[in-house]
Amino acid sequence: MVDEEIADLAQALLALDEQRAVAVARALIDGGADPQAVLQRGLADTMLEVGRRWNAGELFLPEVVAAAEIFRLCNEIVEPALIAAGGRTLGHRVVMATVKGDLHDLGKNMVGAMMKTAGFEVHDLGKDVPAERIVEAVRELEPSIVGLSSLLTTTVPEQRAVLAALEEAGLRRSVKVMVGGAPVTEEWARQIGADGFAPNAPEAVRAALALVGDERLAGA
Amino acid sequence: MGAERAPRPLRGRLRIEPLAEGDLDRIHEASLRVLESAGLRISSRRILDALAESGAQVEAESQRVRFPRRMVEEAIARAPSRYALAARDPTWDVPIGAGEGYLSLDGCAAEIADLESGARRPPTTADLVAATRLADAVEEVAILWPCVAVTDVPPWAQAVRQTQVQLANSTKHLQAMSTFTARDARAVIEMARVVAGGSRPLRDRPIVSSFQCSISPLVYEGDAMEAALEFALAGVPCGFVAMALATATAPTTLAGHLVTVNAELLGGVAVLETLVPGAPTFIGPYQAFMDLGTGGIDLAWGPEEVLFKLAAAQLARRYALPMNILAFATGSKTQDWQAGAQHAISLMGVAAACEADLISATGTLYGSRVFALENVLLDAELFDLVRRLLDGWGTGEDDLALEVIEAVGPGGHFLGQAHTRTHMRELWMPRFFDRRPWEEWETAGRPGPRDAARDRVREILAEHEPDPLPEDAERELARIVESHEGETKGAAHGG
Repeated sequence: MVDEEIADLAQALLALDEQRAVAVARALIDGGADPQAVLQRGLADTMLEVGRRWNAGELFLPEVVAAAEIFRLCNEIVEPALIAAGGRTLGHRVVMATVKGDLHDLGKNMVGAMMKTAGFEVHDLGKDVPAERIVEAVRELEPSIVGLSSLLTTTVPEQRAVLAALEEAGLRRSVKVMVGGAPVTEEWARQIGADGFAPNAPEAVRAALALVGDERLAGA
Repeated sequence: MGAERAPRPLRGRLRIEPLAEGDLDRIHEASLRVLESAGLRISSRRILDALAESGAQVEAESQRVRFPRRMVEEAIARAPSRYALAARDPTWDVPIGAGEGYLSLDGCAAEIADLESGARRPPTTADLVAATRLADAVEEVAILWPCVAVTDVPPWAQAVRQTQVQLANSTKHLQAMSTFTARDARAVIEMARVVAGGSRPLRDRPIVSSFQCSISPLVYEGDAMEAALEFALAGVPCGFVAMALATATAPTTLAGHLVTVNAELLGGVAVLETLVPGAPTFIGPYQAFMDLGTGGIDLAWGPEEVLFKLAAAQLARRYALPMNILAFATGSKTQDWQAGAQHAISLMGVAAACEADLISATGTLYGSRVFALENVLLDAELFDLVRRLLDGWGTGEDDLALEVIEAVGPGGHFLGQAHTRTHMRELWMPRFFDRRPWEEWETAGRPGPRDAARDRVREILAEHEPDPLPEDAERELARIVESHEGETKGAAHGG
């Protein structure tokens, strides 16, 4: 019965049926289903399937973004139960932010959506995020990866400031830092000592998988 | 797989007309005047006699025929504006005069650029088989031409052998445009009757058509005109195409060029419609310019080419004569910037000339002298792009997207909207334009669209099996070829 409902949730997410997905997730949690199973088999595995379909050219980015949004809504329902039950984590954790002074978050959101299709647990700090808040999040959440985005040439230097702040807080060694955004180049990433760079969302996922040593990369 | 494929013609309007009504009148009047004063030379006694009987002024010795104005005007009026070029598989029937433009292969290239090496070499029957199967698979190509001159058979056997190969390897309409003699025409008609199921079925649904070329200025070979007559009498559509070279075989000015070309084409139509009234025909006012340095064909087509075809299309519309228009011509030796630019500009000219029925001709490089299989796919991509462009756009309630714009509001985005997902697949998608990020392209070894096209050609040739002819039809075609070759060989050796 619960298995059927979890399959139903997966199907609704795959069909990008937001209302149904949210309703089924709510019914599952209210009915006392194991939140870990709901998260893993209902949502996270389905996001992997979304990623596979994107990779095969069957889905486009707007569909991945829609799936990620439904995932977020469902996760809001599942998470409290999960924390109460003491369970957690999907896979590697990623903290993402558009750096201070920059209000452009569309690219970062796309990367976040694609990251979810690869099984990453994504924590999005939003846009115009000061370095201190990013440092704080790294200390608190202990992510494997921090992703920094800027669209403006004027805010790109802020990526270097975040790296410096992590260094100062003694956290630089504990986390891999990826940078991206329209004006960001591989050369810039090297210059400021970032660990990874990607020119677009799908490449960001590949780079992230490589950074955490995920074997799925071989097939990517 | 066959059921999913459908023709993809150009439809819609984007009309640009460089000639005013008065300009058109002047060009028309001048063309009639040329036919009345200079006339045409046609080296066929049989045709000259028949024309003399119908009121043309014939000078037997110089093989000159001068057409009274009324004869030409009546001929234009007799030519049907609508008919169909049928196909063995009716899915691929091409309606003429329906306001749609259908793409053909190019014709008779003397060389082929090898798919593997890119080097040019003489084409063989195997190349024609491959090209025909490829064209059978590509939805944008609606009409076959014998795109390479097969050099593994003697020249006098080529036209008929090519017809055999193309009838057997595709279910699409065949324009047997390299059939230059009555004897060849009879063999082609006989083969077409076998495939169509008899004389009457071929007349009702001509799966084959043809055209003859003038020899500019103002000449038709007697053999070619007799072949045209054979086709017309069998109910097989036969058009006329002029490929005058401005400066050498036509005046240098665009207007003068158009007048001689128009006179040649109207002269062809006048002969055909006088001798076989109501015969389905079309005109193909092609344009070429001489390279002022070398005297060869100018391989850098440009603005004059586009102007010429826009004006020629206006004339064809005035006459309500179906039209064949040249879309693809490049002087480039490979699938590069020059080829892409020339093809795209020329094809946009076709789109703006509007409502040409037959659009030639895909697959060539280097002034149409070299055929390349990958060009068929690259040209088809441009054709598909222009097809989408002519489709236009809607401005209905859902198209205006007011609700979505309001829902997203200032500063949001449209990525997650159902409206986006509903409509995003309507956007045109390239198959060969490279849209990879630089890094990915670098990693892949810097491939170009040409490499992708080449891979796709290989895939299609490995996968696509055209519907074969019934075995007895194949045997019958082989018998016709054999008998034609016996006869023609005898004639070629003075028999």
